[in-house]
Amino acid sequence: MTDTNDAGEAGAEVKKDHGVLYIGMDLGTSRTSVSASNGVRETVYSTVGYPKDVVSMKLLKKDVLFGKEAIEKRLSLKIYKPLEKGVIKSSDGSDEDSKANLKAARDLIGEAIRLARPRADELVYCVIGAPAEASIHNREAIIEAAREHVDSVMLCSEPFAVAYGLDWLEDVLVVDIGAGTTDLCRMHGTMPEEADQVMSDIAGDAVDAELAKQIEASCPGAQFTVQMIKGIKERYGFVGDASERVEVELPVDGKPTAFDLTDQLRAACSVLIEPIVDGLKRLIATFDPEFQAKLKERVLLAGGGSMVKGLDTAVEKAMNERLGGGKVIRIEEPIYGGSNGALKIAHDMPEDYWEQLK
Amino acid sequence: MSGFKETLKDAVRQMSFRTSLDKLKKKGVQNVNVLGIDRIIALIEAAVHRSLKSRLVGIEREAVAESTKAEFLRLLRSNEDLQRQKSEMERARERAEEEIDLMRRELGEKRKLLEVKLEQGAVDLANRYEGENKEIAVKVAAVCRSFVESGDAESGSVEERLMELVMDVVSGERENAEVARKALQDREVGNLQRRIKKLNDTLASTEQRLQQASTMKEVDQGISSIYREVQGVGSSDAQVDRKKELMADLFKANLRLQKRGKGA
Repeated sequence: MTDTNDAGEAGAEVKKDHGVLYIGMDLGTSRTSVSASNGVRETVYSTVGYPKDVVSMKLLKKDVLFGKEAIEKRLSLKIYKPLEKGVIKSSDGSDEDSKANLKAARDLIGEAIRLARPRADELVYCVIGAPAEASIHNREAIIEAAREHVDSVMLCSEPFAVAYGLDWLEDVLVVDIGAGTTDLCRMHGTMPEEADQVMSDIAGDAVDAELAKQIEASCPGAQFTVQMIKGIKERYGFVGDASERVEVELPVDGKPTAFDLTDQLRAACSVLIEPIVDGLKRLIATFDPEFQAKLKERVLLAGGGSMVKGLDTAVEKAMNERLGGGKVIRIEEPIYGGSNGALKIAHDMPEDYWEQLK
Repeated sequence: MSGFKETLKDAVRQMSFRTSLDKLKKKGVQNVNVLGIDRIIALIEAAVHRSLKSRLVGIEREAVAESTKAEFLRLLRSNEDLQRQKSEMERARERAEEEIDLMRRELGEKRKLLEVKLEQGAVDLANRYEGENKEIAVKVAAVCRSFVESGDAESGSVEERLMELVMDVVSGERENAEVARKALQDREVGNLQRRIKKLNDTLASTEQRLQQASTMKEVDQGISSIYREVQGVGSSDAQVDRKKELMADLFKANLRLQKRGKGA
């Protein structure tokens, strides 16, 4: 351990005899969430910023900034979003950009662990949820980054963590809608294999891109940034029937101007439905026919993207049309579903296993 | 029991913070509700006992109460240790700050001293040369006058020649003296410069230590986990066997991954 042990580094090594802190982490393209066994639950935007020059460093009084703070001060910073589609961007470290992303990912993981507020005298065991289809190389990079901050670390597939957290281990389909990817995973009582998982890159970022396209086409002169688009989506995103019109102010030539974005939002958020139903169809159709009906009745929506209002109903409707029925349940805490599950896995992992991975 | 109450009181006191009425007024607080520490302790005890009573019976309740007390005392001791470490760090920071102030003052004094010495050396030298020149001129003039008075030679040319001769001798002497003086002065200046450099280095390292101490002060002491020991799947879990299998599979996959990483 390094960062979390600052006090120890300066003096004698701290004896880790106080207790065991379990941390579950959902390392996402847009957000990184942590849940810990000391009751801490935090989330941070997966954005890392380094001061552009000595002047900005003196002004900001920090070597590195994270999340919202980094986004707010982005003009003085060199900004990195180290994760793309849930994995570290070009983690082979072969060129400068790749090295910088790797460093940003390391710092982000360190920050997420710091947010869990571990004590220096406690063992820290961490389970990180990563996308089901992350490459071996990428997994190694995540492990290496985390090792610097914890005593022992394990990776698990993100949708598996969500299902485990809810104790739904059998005949359940998990749909984890992140920013970069939508991961679908079939749980049937054992560790999911490759055939049990489907990944689509139509996720939160694709919704943002579609919304930006729609606004550009229908709101002449409206100025906006990706962050503004994300904000609008997170606040008003919906599919199906709108409960009320969505009116948003966007600047036009410096003047705030009200636009009705109801139809644009609906259209943008609807891009999620088709790939989800396609994935569900694939996983259901390749499952034991005897259990297919049961599987259809247990579809879990998780991840930040599941907060789009009406998405569960819309997916259910599409399943009815294409698969002859289905039941979709949105998990209660989409932001922390993955990290809560990872925390539960960390808790249930025997001591011996942790020791062997030290 | 009374000992435990006192400890509980101490803990509540430790966790509270002190403020003045003026400060509260400044924050816009007009009235405060006061709750005595004994009352707080009584409330905590009553809450704990009621909770235990409603959930546990007999011996089990006693055991849980005892272990809770023990855990509370352990946490308290641990917090005291952290508090002590924090105080030590703060003291180290204060010491470093004092040292830095002292060194800065000393450095300033030494620099001033060096400047004064260098200026003084130049002025002294100029004054001394001026005095010596005048003295020599007077002596030569006297010699010349004696020539004229005795009528041996023309006063002007004799004075000129004599002056040249004397200045030639004197400048040779001066050069020698200058070399000796410079060597002496260089040694002094060198000493002072070395001293300043050393002070500068010490200042830099002390400032670094101060920075470290300041960072350490900001280090979050963290929040204790609810677990004292490593857990594992609970035996009462309805899916205990399945979960154990899943954990084993997950571990094996991670072991392979991490072994591969170490091997690479």
